[in-house]
Amino acid sequence: MSAVARARKEDTSAEGSFSLALSVNGNERELLVEPHESLAEVLRNRLDLRGTKIGCNSGECGACTVVLDGSAVCSCVTLACTVPGSHVTTIEGLERDGVLDRLQEAFVEHGGFQCGFCTSGMIMSAHALLSQTKHPTEDEIRVALQGNVCRCTGYAQILQAVRAAAAGA
Amino acid sequence: MSAPKEFEVVGKRLNRLDGEGKVTGAAVYASDFTLPGMLHGKILRSPHAHARIVRIDTSAARKMPGVRAVVTGASQKLNRFGNFIKDFEVFANERVYHVGQPVAGIAADSEYAAEQALRAIEVEYAELPAVFDVMEALDKAAPLVHPDWQSLKAAPIIVREGNRCSRTVIKVGDVEEGFRNSYRVYEHVFRTSPVHAGYTEPRVAVAQWTASDQATVWCNTQLLFDTQSTLAEIFGIPPSHIRVIVPGIGGGFGGKLRLGMEHYAMALARAAKRPVRVMSSSEEELTAALFRQPATIELKTGVDRDGRILAKEGRIVVDAGACSGSGPLVASTGTMILAGPYRLPNANLEGISVYTNNHPNGSIRAPSGPMPNFATESQMDMIAEDLGLDPLELRLRNILREGDIAVNGQKMTAVGLEECLDKAATAIGWDLRKPGPNRGKGLACGWWMTSRGSSGSYLKLMQDGTLTMMVGVVEMGTGALTGAAQVVAEEMGMKLTDINVVSADSLTTPYDFGSQGSRTMFAVANASREAARDLLEKMRTRAAKALGTDEQALVMRDKAFWSDEKKITFAEIAAQANTAGGGLIAEATYIAPAVEHDASRVQNHFSPAWPSPSFHVHATDLSVDEVLGEVTINRYVVAQDVGYAINPTYLEGQLEGGAVQGVGQALSEEIIIANGHVKNGNLTDYKMPTAMDVPKIEVILVTHPSVAGPYGAKGVGEPPTIQPPAAVANAVAAACGKRIMHLPITAEKILLG
Repeated sequence: MSAVARARKEDTSAEGSFSLALSVNGNERELLVEPHESLAEVLRNRLDLRGTKIGCNSGECGACTVVLDGSAVCSCVTLACTVPGSHVTTIEGLERDGVLDRLQEAFVEHGGFQCGFCTSGMIMSAHALLSQTKHPTEDEIRVALQGNVCRCTGYAQILQAVRAAAAGA
Repeated sequence: MSAPKEFEVVGKRLNRLDGEGKVTGAAVYASDFTLPGMLHGKILRSPHAHARIVRIDTSAARKMPGVRAVVTGASQKLNRFGNFIKDFEVFANERVYHVGQPVAGIAADSEYAAEQALRAIEVEYAELPAVFDVMEALDKAAPLVHPDWQSLKAAPIIVREGNRCSRTVIKVGDVEEGFRNSYRVYEHVFRTSPVHAGYTEPRVAVAQWTASDQATVWCNTQLLFDTQSTLAEIFGIPPSHIRVIVPGIGGGFGGKLRLGMEHYAMALARAAKRPVRVMSSSEEELTAALFRQPATIELKTGVDRDGRILAKEGRIVVDAGACSGSGPLVASTGTMILAGPYRLPNANLEGISVYTNNHPNGSIRAPSGPMPNFATESQMDMIAEDLGLDPLELRLRNILREGDIAVNGQKMTAVGLEECLDKAATAIGWDLRKPGPNRGKGLACGWWMTSRGSSGSYLKLMQDGTLTMMVGVVEMGTGALTGAAQVVAEEMGMKLTDINVVSADSLTTPYDFGSQGSRTMFAVANASREAARDLLEKMRTRAAKALGTDEQALVMRDKAFWSDEKKITFAEIAAQANTAGGGLIAEATYIAPAVEHDASRVQNHFSPAWPSPSFHVHATDLSVDEVLGEVTINRYVVAQDVGYAINPTYLEGQLEGGAVQGVGQALSEEIIIANGHVKNGNLTDYKMPTAMDVPKIEVILVTHPSVAGPYGAKGVGEPPTIQPPAAVANAVAAACGKRIMHLPITAEKILLG
């Protein structure tokens, strides 16, 4: 926490003090945030996009993963004020006209989650991978998902889901 | 057993009912839940393992910006609690007895403001002598963790003495005689380390008081009704005045069985007269959650020349931490795992739990499983090696088979253990146990129970001909409620998607023992199946009347009753019943039948008989890096007797996930504690397996149906975490000759051990 942030009144329900313009799921958004607010907090608390989860809140579990300008990042350790003008995609941005994305379909079809708390982040990591690499190898899939912790599945059905989504592409 | 009948819904790989919400981000978890005007709470924790609180001054904190309430042990009368011994305090009163013990709480406009204000609370401590090692704690000269232990209320089953907070014994025959007759006697000591449950959603609660003696709590507990009654006890109000709702839960694995943040949220909300949310931080999770108890296991086993066990003496000493928590239960059930699924003519097995000034522990997935299994199954391999026997052969000479009497006097039925051993050994290629240099194979077997406890189910037929099932249990993610709904759909001749599930509200859903003990699907499906049969009877009666025919003449097909060419659909029956008949509902409850055992063999045992026991074998093929000591698992096989697979996809998910969780405990996971302080309170230094670490888990489903189980199913959720440490330890020994007797099996231990 910076000294500047510490000095400021912090209340996410109130107007922030820093102007931020960015694109979220294809919509241009302009809002006031506090300098210390993370992208995850802004998405969840100011934009009501609660599909992005906060687990460890320290960039270690990956539950908060979103796609930022094409790359998967932990939104909990990304300060919102450092990403003006960026394009952010969250789990809510994958569905098109009520039709699930192939990754979302594949995760349901192959049991790629149990409790589902890591799922948004897991799917966003996989989405970033498939956007860049159409037919990833097994190793490429594992590397792409290495920052996303899942305790429920042991990863087997997640890997299967990503493979299936890639094959169906 | 007759060949399995083909069913329409059960046994099928159908998609789970809660799937879409979880892949679109629409599913609401407890940590997503907010209320208007909600404040945020934070907890001040003790930095000392044992100290007297000399003075607490909260006056500066109260003046900090945004602070709405400050609570300490002195500011509210809150009763002690604890599942077997009332040794927990919500906030410390005169003394702290472990690092991380809550001393005060603050509710403020934001988490940030609350956190800042915590630092303004002044606490003066006078340090007291502490004890961290269970063996030292058992010494008469050791400082007492609870000098007032005799005045703490305890369940009648608990026998205590100073720092020893429970003791359970299983005794069969005469072990001394057995040892005298033995060809060889082996004595070993094994140790395990604490591990975290590893759920990804931290523990969280939002509490709101709706009257001076009524509150609602939204949280992510696994046990609605235990949480309800514990909160009622703490706050001195009737349980029915506390409504517990679980909007959604991000993993549990036993780590969310007991109170998490609910009591702090309630105390702060009462003081602030506003709703308060308290969420555990990542650091708090890894330093102040309820871990799996570390244990010391002493084993003495006598065998004849052929390797048949003649006598077994064993003791599991569980470090309960500063409050007993689940320690007594873990130690008690641990005696059954010390015995293992083996014929034991003579045995003397003891389980004790011990207070130390370490952090209190909980009940993680198969709470008593991995520690004694690691000891027992490691020792089996050590015996085999000494006798020059194949470890598989040694097990085959000792395992329980159909009709055998287990150590507790229980007659074993539906025993799939030999089949699990055969299939796992074949799958892993047991004939070639050392396929190359620094590469080896190991296996371990085990057993577990399907816990009892009540479940209820309310069903109602909906106007559109679908059915709503209301149950008081939490869908933890296992797919248990999808499984139960499959059973209901099968009974009703419906599709799975015709079942609407409502769950986890203590006010509106029936009592349930909760999401624990490998019993959720088992018990909820049994209750719901009974209710479905009742509902169907009522529907049939209405249909017969409407169609002017005999009930016996009706045929049920396509969600309708037919009499020749005439039919009445379920929707029409519902509409008719709603307008002219008061509606159609049914309910049923279930508890697994008690299992007979020999009471003379057990003393102070929490689970002396095992309902619908399950049997399992894990086998692995791994390599050990000669230079780095690093273990690479090449293959991993799980063979589990599951009784029957209601939904193979989610069943496989349980076995894969559980095995990987167990591999974490085997190789990398350890809460490192020195003098009561956790040294690795972050997910970088606490190493859970990632997608880069895991092998493919090869799952073999063995099906020896349980008479009591729905369609023969047995409990499945906990067992796969039991065997990995032993299977891995045995494979490491086969690979490089190093026998590691202290979990986790790290590269350092392999190189230096």
